[in-house]
Amino acid sequence: MVGTSLCKWTISYFAAAIAWLLLAEGLMVAGFGFPNHDIGDPDTLVIVHMVSIGWLSTVLCGALFQFVPVLVARPLYAERWTLPALALLTLGLVVLLAGFLTLGGHLDGPRWLLPGGGGLLIAGFALVVANLGMTLWSARPLPAPARFVAGGLACLCVTAAFGGLFSLVLSGTATGAQWPDLLVSGVSIHALAGLGGWLTFTAMGVSYRLLAMFMLAHDGDARLGRLALRAGIAAIAVGLVGGALALWRMTGLNLALLLAGAAALLSFAAYGRDVLGLYRTRKRRVLELNTRMSLVGLASLVAAAILSVAFVATGSFSSHVGALVFLVAFGWLTGLVLANLYKIVPFLTWLETYGPVMGRVPTPRVQDLVAERRALKWFVVFFAGSWAATLMLLIEAPLGFRAAVAAMMLATLGLSEKFTRARRLADVAEPMRLPTGAAMPHLLVSRN
Amino acid sequence: MTIDNEDLVGQIRQALKVVIDPELGHNIVDLGFVYDVQVDDGAAHITMTATTRGCPAASFLKEGVASSACLVPGVDSVDVTMTFEPPWAPSMISPGVRSSLGFAEVN
Repeated sequence: MVGTSLCKWTISYFAAAIAWLLLAEGLMVAGFGFPNHDIGDPDTLVIVHMVSIGWLSTVLCGALFQFVPVLVARPLYAERWTLPALALLTLGLVVLLAGFLTLGGHLDGPRWLLPGGGGLLIAGFALVVANLGMTLWSARPLPAPARFVAGGLACLCVTAAFGGLFSLVLSGTATGAQWPDLLVSGVSIHALAGLGGWLTFTAMGVSYRLLAMFMLAHDGDARLGRLALRAGIAAIAVGLVGGALALWRMTGLNLALLLAGAAALLSFAAYGRDVLGLYRTRKRRVLELNTRMSLVGLASLVAAAILSVAFVATGSFSSHVGALVFLVAFGWLTGLVLANLYKIVPFLTWLETYGPVMGRVPTPRVQDLVAERRALKWFVVFFAGSWAATLMLLIEAPLGFRAAVAAMMLATLGLSEKFTRARRLADVAEPMRLPTGAAMPHLLVSRN
Repeated sequence: MTIDNEDLVGQIRQALKVVIDPELGHNIVDLGFVYDVQVDDGAAHITMTATTRGCPAASFLKEGVASSACLVPGVDSVDVTMTFEPPWAPSMISPGVRSSLGFAEVN
């Protein structure tokens, strides 16, 4: 096959995700949830799920619908499933959040809100996993980056299954009452499978290919990514299987998590070495803003790994876990995603607008759809804000944390305006902006 | 190949320069994407590549090549073959464009 087609709803996933990110940042600025409330408080759970499902999972699903077909050079199994999945995920999250707000005493809602929202979310993720899974299945044997995605999808299933069980326990229904201890000991597996397995492992795999493509580095070596993949799968297997066994036998959970953590560290170290290798062997000397900012995001992952080891060694891990999760979710994952959106949004917009008229009229470059110098300041503010916010959590300064998140929110708004300008072709010089035959793209949905 | 055909091949290569790689921002002829152009009794056969197999841009590049070659007087039909053997490498870029793109020297 020559090339895959555009996924019509990827841009819609991105827009919905950014709306959730802004809402979550706004709530944190207002002092809702952690650190003003306990890390397991329902208010904190509102923010955690807004960020992990609304923002990170939605944006990643949208990107994977476009990117998995590129990774395996096969068309997406069912484009028609992508919009129902977005609707289920969005509706499910709204209902789930209403459940948490009820649990926190902000709403007077029925008990079925949590399991109802959980059920809708599981249905939405099932559509996503089935669609991407069938696409990957058709392309066996998989290249290394696609294996990371397959591992990430498996972890998404585990995360969703645990989440569904928790929603039953928290709702106080008779079914949930059968597992009274699940919540206490299962949360760490739910969080690690989601943040570590689904979000981080998938982002690592996708970034192998994206970094190699954008830096024009050679990634054809079959050994590239092998150690990171194997160590990562070992971390996931030990964490999930060991964790489940420990839950069943009611002992040994800490040992399983420690072993999983050690394997995860090895995976991150191998990944860091691979990215450094790609950087050194790149053919493109001058890197674009998206690649440079992706590398800054990677620095946050390295910092989080080093801090984790330091806190485990000093026995203070559990008191700093909130700050570490924040650094992983924002400094690493959100930073990496925003950096890549800064390339993906103009690229998809270019394909949609200028692809059909190519060969008939002169067309601009993808780079002509963006103004990197104006966007740079927002990336600087975002990363500085995420690191400052992590520091404020570590030194227990809630007001400082809110001020730092306000800076991150401002930067998110600034970058959202840049994505909108790219969709509107606002930075393209006039003679080439809309040549004969080209149509202005819609803001929130692509023509394909 | 006759002299007329050589002229026509040159004209087709010139016409293909309207097609750019959106990511690298240069025309596909100078980037070395066009592996071969042959003309046989008004029928053009073009063999080309792209940087990434499976990329959505690849099909637009192929269509763009067909559209631009069709506009050359004397070309009655165009047949474009997309191949990834040999894979494209930055060493295929013409030297002037390579330095303007900020590429490392390729051995």
